[in-house]
Amino acid sequence: MSAPLLSVRGLDKKFGGLAAVQQVDMDLHPGVLTALVGPNGAGKTTLFNLITGNIPADSGEVLLDGASIRGRSPHHIARLGVARSFQDLRLFARMTVRENVLAAIEHTAWLWQPGGRSARRAREAAVEQALERTGLTAQANARAMDLAYAERKFLSVARILATGSRIWLLDEPASGLDLHSRARFVSLVRQAAAEGVTICLIEHNLDIVTELADRIAFLDRGAKLAEGDPQDILRDPELIGIYFGERRT
Amino acid sequence: MTAYLLNLATLATIFGILAASLNLLIGYAGIFSVAHAVFFGLGAYAGAQVAMLLVPDVLLACLAGGAVAALLSLGLALPALRVRGEYFVAASLGLQMMAVTVFSEAHALTGGHGGLVGIPLPTLLGFDVSAQGVFLTVCLAVLALILLAIRMLMRGSFGRSLMAIRDSESAAEAFGKDVRQLKTLVVVLGCALAGVGGALFSFYMMFVNVESFTLEQSILIMAMVIIGGTATLAGPLVGVLLLLLLPAALSFLPFIPPTQIGAVQQFIYGLAMALLMIFRPAGIAGQSAGRR
Repeated sequence: MSAPLLSVRGLDKKFGGLAAVQQVDMDLHPGVLTALVGPNGAGKTTLFNLITGNIPADSGEVLLDGASIRGRSPHHIARLGVARSFQDLRLFARMTVRENVLAAIEHTAWLWQPGGRSARRAREAAVEQALERTGLTAQANARAMDLAYAERKFLSVARILATGSRIWLLDEPASGLDLHSRARFVSLVRQAAAEGVTICLIEHNLDIVTELADRIAFLDRGAKLAEGDPQDILRDPELIGIYFGERRT
Repeated sequence: MTAYLLNLATLATIFGILAASLNLLIGYAGIFSVAHAVFFGLGAYAGAQVAMLLVPDVLLACLAGGAVAALLSLGLALPALRVRGEYFVAASLGLQMMAVTVFSEAHALTGGHGGLVGIPLPTLLGFDVSAQGVFLTVCLAVLALILLAIRMLMRGSFGRSLMAIRDSESAAEAFGKDVRQLKTLVVVLGCALAGVGGALFSFYMMFVNVESFTLEQSILIMAMVIIGGTATLAGPLVGVLLLLLLPAALSFLPFIPPTQIGAVQQFIYGLAMALLMIFRPAGIAGQSAGRR
């Protein structure tokens, strides 16, 4: 396996007396899809928030291409190529589908974007391609708030897709999808991984995890209990017991 | 009668500039400020001082008013934009209270409670523009330029970034938006435009004092934006026409005694606000679900 693109070393986060993330180590390799699995409250989303700088870590390190990104702001980390989705989607609700995707790839905090007409055309092409791959071309001018549930889910992926980010952190992106939409989602994510995108996915549906994941990291109570091949992890009776609510001592 | 209508039209145009500039903050960026009258006042005092001490040129006064308001808006933006939502409202309220005191006490700059009197008649590049109709044309031209600039900016990446922040600040950050920088920029821009409105106001009134820049004025401007409709060009203008012309219209109704006009006006404002929030929360001409 090639060198990790993103590494987490000894990451710790406490909320008051609660250890949300404890001494977590994890490597994300290029083109490898890692699923973060664990019961509710295991610290999966908190781990994403620590990686993306949304909340500061108490200790530990987050390395991108071997360089520390801990302590950097979320927008800075995003510009380095780490894109994420949210459980509650957080779409730009009053903007159209096309504007949502376009806004996701316009970074400069100034009155206009640099690069002139050619850069603008490249951004527009990236938007159209992302809409096409996510099946949202027909809804391009609809407002995000007016979309159906599955379309909203795909829009959250389209925004990430258009950014061309090297790392995708997807927080329950397939929850609530019908079977047809789920199959489309699996195909979309597989294609991205085949193109070399490094993907880390939080997912409660173990069927999707089995279908998609190259590796699984199992978290419980903030600690990583196991990491490895999906078949090995999902056959471990102790881990499955924890996942389905049989508490370990 | 013509002079009366020209007076109303000029005031409506100046308030149109104020409402359009506040709409940048409230409608496009989701930043609720109750201190817009402060920047209106800063522009008015700066414009008046330029006219009284240097030359009564509208262009120069507008530039000075806009620059002073922009510069001092950093005092609000830089510390207050570190906090979110209701905390910014509280910070702007504090600034509004403080500014009224400063405007009342800084006699050398503002003339204190008595205000600045004797502001000379306006000129534009050497031409006299003091006639009521001509000055209205100048104000309309400034409003048109401002609306054009807002339209261009809001249709571009800057506008999309602001609206992204308004709809989800954390998602905007996750897509590389420097939220603090963008918010600072829009506050400075909105306040600068309010300052331009202030400079025009000082020329028009030929007198400015603190009474025009109180919390009530800030709330009136905010009501114009919210009632008219946020995040559209037309919304704030509709709000201005409604809230500025309503008192004038009421005075023509023979069955309302002159002493009761204020009370009737307050009742209508309150009822209109309540009904709008229930049936059309985005305002009369604001964005609503399923329509742009």
